[in-house]
Amino acid sequence: MPYHEFEVSKCIPERKKHAVVKGPGEDLTSALPAGYLSTIPGTISERGCAYCGAKHVIGTPMKDVIHLSHGPVGCTYDTWQTKRYISDNDNFQLKYTFATDMKEKHVIFGAEKMLKKNMLEAFKAFPEMKRMTVYQTCASALIGDDIDAVAQEVMEELPGVDIFVCNSPGFKGPSQSGGHHTINIAWMKNKVGQVEPKITSDYVINYVGEYNIQGDQEVMQDYFKRMGIQILSTFTGNGSYDDLRAMQGAHLNVLECARSAEYICNELRVRYGIPRLDIDGFGFEALSHSLRKIGLFFGIEDRAEKIIAEETARWKPELDWYKERLNGKKVCLWPGGSKLWHWAHAIHAEMGVEVVSVYTKFGHQGDMEKGIARCEEGALAIDDPNELESLEAMETLKPDCIFTGKRPGEYAKKVRVPYLNAHAYHNGPWKGYEGWVRFARDIYNAIYSPIHQLALVDISKDELAAGTGFVTRRMLSDASLPEKVRSSETLRQYTGQFDSVSGFRDKTYPVFERKPEVETVGA
Amino acid sequence: MEDLQKDRIEQLVDYIMKNCLWQFHSRAWDRKRQNEGILAKTAQLLCGDPVSLETPEDRCYWVDAVCLVEAYRAGYPWLAGLGKAELRDLMQGLYERMDYLTITGSLNLELTDQHY
Repeated sequence: MPYHEFEVSKCIPERKKHAVVKGPGEDLTSALPAGYLSTIPGTISERGCAYCGAKHVIGTPMKDVIHLSHGPVGCTYDTWQTKRYISDNDNFQLKYTFATDMKEKHVIFGAEKMLKKNMLEAFKAFPEMKRMTVYQTCASALIGDDIDAVAQEVMEELPGVDIFVCNSPGFKGPSQSGGHHTINIAWMKNKVGQVEPKITSDYVINYVGEYNIQGDQEVMQDYFKRMGIQILSTFTGNGSYDDLRAMQGAHLNVLECARSAEYICNELRVRYGIPRLDIDGFGFEALSHSLRKIGLFFGIEDRAEKIIAEETARWKPELDWYKERLNGKKVCLWPGGSKLWHWAHAIHAEMGVEVVSVYTKFGHQGDMEKGIARCEEGALAIDDPNELESLEAMETLKPDCIFTGKRPGEYAKKVRVPYLNAHAYHNGPWKGYEGWVRFARDIYNAIYSPIHQLALVDISKDELAAGTGFVTRRMLSDASLPEKVRSSETLRQYTGQFDSVSGFRDKTYPVFERKPEVETVGA
Repeated sequence: MEDLQKDRIEQLVDYIMKNCLWQFHSRAWDRKRQNEGILAKTAQLLCGDPVSLETPEDRCYWVDAVCLVEAYRAGYPWLAGLGKAELRDLMQGLYERMDYLTITGSLNLELTDQHY
């Protein structure tokens, strides 16, 4: 096994099994790091907890719900600005966050009464909201509060109200991934099948593992609507609570983030016979394949082909403008779970960048299999790195940019490596054809930022060229480009709008005639 | 001849690994089902044999197979020169190699979990 031992982690020998180099001739049977294990004592890694994985990743993107944490107020932290799962109902789930604010006295005397009071108050404060999710935290789990019983009492007192209880305290699993699992299974077990689906098309999907980061879901929804496909539910970005109780009515589960949501797809397949189709919404080729496959499944591939042709013609010249300027730039792809495999091949093939390292904070070995399979030889693959390892990797690999979360991103900046937020994006959405160009533009802006160039100057020893005047990104990026590329009339920079999402909300879509219903013999 | 076959199989494997996701379901039995379902239909399409589309699951395998065949025909022109028997041999070799890489030779310790 081509393990990689970090100098900084020699004192933690267990860490050696968590990093490998994909060398020449290596494949998945010889190069795969350990994964989804408890973080080793002594190594401070960047993971979140199982409560965070359940609530902040999967639960809270549901838009028409009061999301209440039963625990200390600090557990509700990740709201505005730290998460960017927007919605088309004025971002209710981001604007309002609820916590029971458990204190020491509640730990000693119990917090069920206080929980009930909070639930009733929240419904009273937002009378238009009839749905609620309640999340267990470490504190309430340890004292044994019976949230289910309280929820039942509230539902009896307030007819028309429905409550989902998520028992995923922070300690339930080695990382946030444990929480993804718990909430998937809990939703399947307790909520799916409770609502009769309203079918409006012959082609009905559940769109699963999609969290509407900066509008990703709405971008993809636009394509599906143009194809005449009904999204019965989205699990869970911009998704509606009651739509998600009707998931059993779809013909196909279209799955994006398998890391966080494959469980519910698998269960829907076993229980209701709905097949699972894994897709990629990132990258022109992968997205085109995805739309083509969904079209083929329903026998409407011509509608998919039309969209692929239109979108490619509109956006490819802009993607290629950036590709010419990003060619050969080294990047570290250091996201949380699924983006290492969503992006590893697509950014290399379509933007020309070299992925020198992939890592995952909370992914499983299955995610590393996909990531390593998709990246090129020589890449360093790291599972659950600590801060010192990330710094050592940046020092040795010398990337031009890293794509990661805000915690490692901040210390990357300190060592003068520009970073893009892989979880919440910079100027997203990054899904879809236009989104992919926006991603390329963000990479370009990060790498060629004139301010960043100044940061690379070490004023303790380098001569500061104070008299050379200002430079622009274009001056930096085009300096070594051939004239043919520089003056190309076909390639162009991004020409989309600042807000590429809101327009979808008022858009009129084609109406496709439905097939006549076939009477069942003997019915 | 054996080397040529091996080299061709590796080219086909490389395409799947870089561009597809269906081979990486989370459990060994699931991967077996996926490899079998999709690669059998891919072989049928390449050979011009009839493909069964009786169940939604069949249809799901078939769409992945159609896309794979399109990509193979576009990326590997040497496929056009192979007869049916050679194609079947090649696809059997590909199926065995994929099973090895993703199931029997896999280092993924979660493949044998009983539950999802």
